[in-house]
Amino acid sequence: MSSTPPGGGADAPPAVELHGITKRFPGVVANHDIDITVAPGTVHAIVGENGAGKSTLMKTLYGMHRPDEGEILVRGTPVHFGSPSDAIKQGIGMVHQHFMLADNLTVLENVVLGAERRHGIGHKARARILELSDQYGLGIKPDRLMEELGVGDRQRVEILKVLYRGAQTIILDEPTAVLVPQEVDELFDNLRELKREGLTVIFISHKLDEVLSVADEITVIRRGTTVATVDPAATSARELATLMVGGELPVPELRESTVTDHVVLSLDGVTVLSPEGRPVVDDVSVDVHRGEIVGIAGVEGNGQSELIEAVMGMQTLSAGRIHLEDADITEWSTLHIREAGVGYIPEDRHRHGMLLESPLWENRILGHQTRPPSVRGPWIDRAGARTDSERIVEEYDVRTPGIDVVADALSGGNQQKFIIGREMSGQPRFLVAAHPTRGVDVGAQSAIWEQLREARAAGLAVLLISADLDELIGMSDTLHVILRGRLVAEADPTGVTPEQLGSAMTGAGLGSADDTEGGPRADRTRDDEGEGGA
Amino acid sequence: MTDNAPRTFAAPAVFGLALVLGTATAVVLDLFLLWWAALLIGVGAAFVLVAATAARTRDESRTGATGAKEEGTPLHKVLVAPMSLVLALAGGLATAWILDLQLITEVAAGLGALVGSALAFVLFHRLSAMLALSFAAVLTAGVIALTVTGAVLQISGIAPVETFGRMLEFGSRPDSMVQIVNTATTYYLAAVAVAIGFKMGLFNIGVDGQYRLAALAAASVGGYIMLPPVISQIIIIATAVAVGGVWAGIAGYLKVARGVSEVISTIMLNSIATGITAYLLSTDRLAVELSTNNIGTPPMPESSWVPGIPAGFLGSDREIWGMIVLAAVVGFLYWAMLNRTRFGFELRATGQSKTAAEASGVDVKKMVFLSMLFSGMVAGLVGLPQLLGHSHHYALDFPVGIGFIGIAIALLGRNHPVGIVFAALLWSFLDQAAGILPFDGTPQEIAVIAQATIVLTVVVVYEVVHRWGRRYQQQQIGKQLGRTVESPGEAK
Repeated sequence: MSSTPPGGGADAPPAVELHGITKRFPGVVANHDIDITVAPGTVHAIVGENGAGKSTLMKTLYGMHRPDEGEILVRGTPVHFGSPSDAIKQGIGMVHQHFMLADNLTVLENVVLGAERRHGIGHKARARILELSDQYGLGIKPDRLMEELGVGDRQRVEILKVLYRGAQTIILDEPTAVLVPQEVDELFDNLRELKREGLTVIFISHKLDEVLSVADEITVIRRGTTVATVDPAATSARELATLMVGGELPVPELRESTVTDHVVLSLDGVTVLSPEGRPVVDDVSVDVHRGEIVGIAGVEGNGQSELIEAVMGMQTLSAGRIHLEDADITEWSTLHIREAGVGYIPEDRHRHGMLLESPLWENRILGHQTRPPSVRGPWIDRAGARTDSERIVEEYDVRTPGIDVVADALSGGNQQKFIIGREMSGQPRFLVAAHPTRGVDVGAQSAIWEQLREARAAGLAVLLISADLDELIGMSDTLHVILRGRLVAEADPTGVTPEQLGSAMTGAGLGSADDTEGGPRADRTRDDEGEGGA
Repeated sequence: MTDNAPRTFAAPAVFGLALVLGTATAVVLDLFLLWWAALLIGVGAAFVLVAATAARTRDESRTGATGAKEEGTPLHKVLVAPMSLVLALAGGLATAWILDLQLITEVAAGLGALVGSALAFVLFHRLSAMLALSFAAVLTAGVIALTVTGAVLQISGIAPVETFGRMLEFGSRPDSMVQIVNTATTYYLAAVAVAIGFKMGLFNIGVDGQYRLAALAAASVGGYIMLPPVISQIIIIATAVAVGGVWAGIAGYLKVARGVSEVISTIMLNSIATGITAYLLSTDRLAVELSTNNIGTPPMPESSWVPGIPAGFLGSDREIWGMIVLAAVVGFLYWAMLNRTRFGFELRATGQSKTAAEASGVDVKKMVFLSMLFSGMVAGLVGLPQLLGHSHHYALDFPVGIGFIGIAIALLGRNHPVGIVFAALLWSFLDQAAGILPFDGTPQEIAVIAQATIVLTVVVVYEVVHRWGRRYQQQQIGKQLGRTVESPGEAK
């Protein structure tokens, strides 16, 4: 991959340069050795999977925290940001993914809120807003009440807020996540307008087709560091996907097949509706056999989370049945499902898998609070839970000074190993593994894979959700592709390449041999929205 | 506690030595110095001995609550060691002071030194960094609060030191102490009721309404229905628990079924409870005329009372309410429920992370309802010490506002069953000690200022210190495991 940016203005200094940025947090993957050069007057996209470190990086650039190492240069001058207001002073503004607007105020009031010193709150401010709105073609009416506005308008107000504060460089964090296709087109027109007026836009996304259509340069981030900067004209969504998920890394393959005929979990026409009534999981039917790992590939936000939650009893099904061996578990509670021998490695371990402020041994009880060895009747069995925590620490190589440390103090990989050890205890029949190696260092990653393989050999049935295509291809016996809540393709993990899988994930089908209903698509698909279905 | 390495001292040996040294020093010096000075020096000597031999004391169970070997770390040196010295001295002094009421000074000082020396050893080796941090935070907050209150006094033209001295002197009189313990009993129950909600992330502001309604119901049952002793008390307590539970249960139900914020609903239920008590407490209904300007429920027969505990050992001829036993039982049950039962685990898990609890199969709605219910049941008990131990009827002058004090005390005691004991005693001490101030022409509101400042500083300082402590701990563990960069990249 080319890593030399094509450069916007040849003589002007770069709008923003990041050199060797490293940011460490206890327990999570942070950024390291980030190098990005953003040419002025361009749209620079930063792509990467969720958890790759994009947000951490942007928070660093926007002054929300300080980097541990490295330097930030704005227009050629080194800067140190102590807070977002320092960043704004340097002309860097940010539009957050979740809008920060007061519904009960007008557009004008929202824009001047906190920036009253610039042009007051009266006529001058109104004039300035109209001027900016005309200049950048935003079409904003300052006296509309915010609650009357749609999502696209709100986003333009957010952009205007940033411009009003004098930003020359605008960071947009996943701006299309909340938009429908028409709104995305409008947004992109706005962005081109901003660019024409000489502003610089940093655009964060994981939607490759969008990035390809609007960006002048694309930087790919994987596992906390920049892996390449490419020219969108000279690349494809497939190549980008490979860069994002690390296609070149070999993954040890599963050895011999251990798949049996015995169906452990069976999904039949499972459909889950979003609160707005849109199907987020759409008629999914799949069987998982004893000794089989079934992988689900898909771009984030295509219904994977909802599918898992449906299996775990955390989402209500609007149609379809779920069977665990002979039992119909469709209506069962999460506790009942867990007690029936279903292990759960959640995709967000901090939100769903751990009590961060509790010691490790108490985390052993979580999710197993009705079963020995953690409890005896209504009582917590401290000795039992502690002994078994020691066992997990030992068997799963959890690096910790002891089982009394709070979970928060461990690194992400060690937290994950502990969770896996916990979920594997009590001989589960079925395991839901969502991103089992996300945010986990390399050593822990291969250890986790080895544990999954061993459990599979021992007869465990596994539903594996991952954004890491190599992991999916290397670990799965059967591989399905999910797009807008539907299983659109089934791939043979022994033959498929990450490139083929990547294109199936964006709806372009598996390629030559294995084409499915998706078929070759137009160059733009709205993965996260799933508008209308396939 | 076995000695399994050569050239080291067995822990029990050091422990014994420290006890002997501390006590002997104190007893001998007592002949020449004031008792408390002798005690301080004795305990100090024992502490020095413990600290000096620490490196060579074998004790395999000697790890902090964090699991990390903490001794020798900078945090242990600058924080845990000094904190254990302070606590040992304080413990020794307090013991000696209480024993002094019964025994002759020399013996009391000796026994105090014994306890202090024991504490010196135990705390030095066992006090975990996090617990030491908490103590240090409370101590710091106390000093800040004292300074602020002193400054207020100074500005108002009142000599702070003299005022504090007067309060201390009055508050430690025997009769005052009995009063403090009695008030603290009531406060303790209120604070536990609030704490049950807090542990779950619920804010039960309605303890006030719950206990008043419960007390009225209990007093009516006791006053109108004649029952044999013991059964009578049981029925009265059960009534109070049931009424408190129902009243809080309404808020819990509204929260679960309708998503009504418990803050709003309990505040409203407080008002409704005020209305109901006012309606029922009329001579047309439940009340009778007690005196010319007071009405209340008919006094209970003596067989329904809970006898007091004579406070002769404190030097007072007043009685400590017997219901203190109930408060202790409630405190113990609260502790056991929280730390030893599945229900308590689920409660804490839900309080810490609703999402994690849900993913683990905890029925969060059920937990919300039940914890609100339990909170209300304990709240129902709040009025009983007063009712069964002192007034024996619910009248217009029945104390109000204890529910709100309970919120402050629960905050002050960090929702910990033992922490709340100290917080309740402190609060009640300030209440009582302020009683002397009007006689000196000093405004009584000083106590209120002190109470408010203490709550604010404790909450803020504790939070700051706690966060810092956690970060520090993470760094320590990171260092211990020799890991600096989290993800060294995948190219390996």
